[in-house]
Amino acid sequence: MSTDPPKPPRVRVTAPRTRLESAAGAYPVSREMAEQSDVGELFIRSLIRSQLRLAVVVASGFLFILIGIPVVIATFPVISDLTVFTVPLPWVLLGLGIYPLVISCAALYVRSASRNEKRFRDLVDDS
Amino acid sequence: MIPELNPAVGYVSLILVSLSTVLIGIYGLRISRTTGDFYVASRTVRPWWNASAIGGEYLSAASFLGVAGLILISGVDALWFPIGYTAGYLMLLLFVAAPLRRSGAYTIPDFAEARLDSVMVRRVTSLLVIAVGWLYIVPQLHGAALTVRITTGLPSWVGSVAVVVVVCLSVVTGGMRSITFVQAFQYWLKLTALAVPIVFILLQLGSTGGPITNGGAVFSADLNVTDDASLYRNISLVIALLFGTLGLPHVLVRFYTNPDGASARRTTLIVLGLLSVFYLFPTLYGILGRIHTPELAASGSADATVLLLPSRIFDGSAGDLLTALVTAGAFAAFLSTSSGLVVSLAGVVSQDLFHGSVKGFRWAAVISAVIPLGFALLTDTLALAGSVSMVFAFTASTICPLLVLGIWWRGLTDIGAVAGMLAGAVLCGGSILLSAALGPSAPSSREWLEQPALWTVPSAFAVMIVVSRLTAGRKPAGTSRILARLHTPEQP
Repeated sequence: MSTDPPKPPRVRVTAPRTRLESAAGAYPVSREMAEQSDVGELFIRSLIRSQLRLAVVVASGFLFILIGIPVVIATFPVISDLTVFTVPLPWVLLGLGIYPLVISCAALYVRSASRNEKRFRDLVDDS
Repeated sequence: MIPELNPAVGYVSLILVSLSTVLIGIYGLRISRTTGDFYVASRTVRPWWNASAIGGEYLSAASFLGVAGLILISGVDALWFPIGYTAGYLMLLLFVAAPLRRSGAYTIPDFAEARLDSVMVRRVTSLLVIAVGWLYIVPQLHGAALTVRITTGLPSWVGSVAVVVVVCLSVVTGGMRSITFVQAFQYWLKLTALAVPIVFILLQLGSTGGPITNGGAVFSADLNVTDDASLYRNISLVIALLFGTLGLPHVLVRFYTNPDGASARRTTLIVLGLLSVFYLFPTLYGILGRIHTPELAASGSADATVLLLPSRIFDGSAGDLLTALVTAGAFAAFLSTSSGLVVSLAGVVSQDLFHGSVKGFRWAAVISAVIPLGFALLTDTLALAGSVSMVFAFTASTICPLLVLGIWWRGLTDIGAVAGMLAGAVLCGGSILLSAALGPSAPSSREWLEQPALWTVPSAFAVMIVVSRLTAGRKPAGTSRILARLHTPEQP
């Protein structure tokens, strides 16, 4: 027990809350460089644009399928008569089928978003 | 009313959950000692812990009790609720998770003020956040009231008061500082509390040949108490839930415990998995409830389905044990969501009223918990999932446009933001109030008032964009710098 390092003393926790500046964490060099040059500004704008495009594409794809389901069911009521192990198809789709779709969309987005960021970092490091 | 459950079971599980919540809080408090530990619990909190904590905080009374109750009442249409609650996190991931983490803001008003460099925007945002938080705590307290009434036979108000007292005690004594541990524990408690009983129930029904789906009859719309929802209603509900999630005040704070933007994304991905698994269980309870507890739908206590189902299948002590487990899970749901909301509201209230002192935070916490208690005691229990969807619609029409445009659009101005939020608040709040004033029996022509998100969310976005364009001269000078900060990846 005697070899344990001494515990750090308790300190009062205060709120550095109101301004973002005070909460700045690690502030990477590449980001600073990117902000201070016109080329850097251009890189950032294109990063934001590609991330936004990615988010909008994934969201609209998901919404299209999601809203498509009730529209199709309403248009072709016969779907409600199809069953899987006595469970009607709408119940299977809405109770079970949607969730893998949500997770796949999310995983796809996370992969592509990280790839966009990696491309940005490579660009900044090269310039 | 005479309780049909053994009251001792109810008492024991309520006390156990409250005690374990407080104990884990104290244990976690001993681990975190320095300012660094406190704020940057992040560096040591793994994505799995963090994701469990987010799930624990998010799965509220509406999820734990409300979803099953709604399936009992309205059948397949109710499945849109868990879908919306889950997919809301997809929208959160796509549009706000990583940038908000990088913003360094602890609360939504902090973000608004920093992004738009305007104290006025901060004030308006604070008011909206407080309104949303209070409105969201009320259904939690209604859920607690229902649970206590059903499981112990005590009057309803005892449940609401008990939750507020436990939440206030733990927040004020500082036990909630170790909130990550508490909330993570609550997720797994809630999952276990639903999963274990349903497994036993299905085994029992399978072995005794009891009815599970009645050969598919259980899915028939004839069992529904309500009429089938229209296409408009379902789509509008989904829009409210999808876009309401990303503005909930207690969600942003949790993201701050991620070390960086990329891990905020990974955490959200895990959260989606956890929520997807969780929502299978309330759905099963709802389906079984349609055979085994159908009379609850007519008597207006459909939300008690989850609590009563185990005792309908099992007699004696097996039934008591399983009931104790679901009761504990339900109480965990009210405690975790309410305390998450109270902590984040107290943060907002204390900064704007008490200048961020520790004493001010404690007062703010008490205020944040007691005012919704007043609402809860004065109002009747609505269907939990339904009343929560109103809150989501309101958030989607106010906070969501601010966050999304603030993060992605350079052209946003302070006047535009305020105009958009107020427009959303007036349109959405107004139609909900109006439809409440007009009374419950709804002809289908009135559903655009009852479920307004489909038109109020685009309206709020439109107002925000148009007014920003008109006041383009007021674009804050630091916009480029802040946007760069929100979107540039941290060093690997």
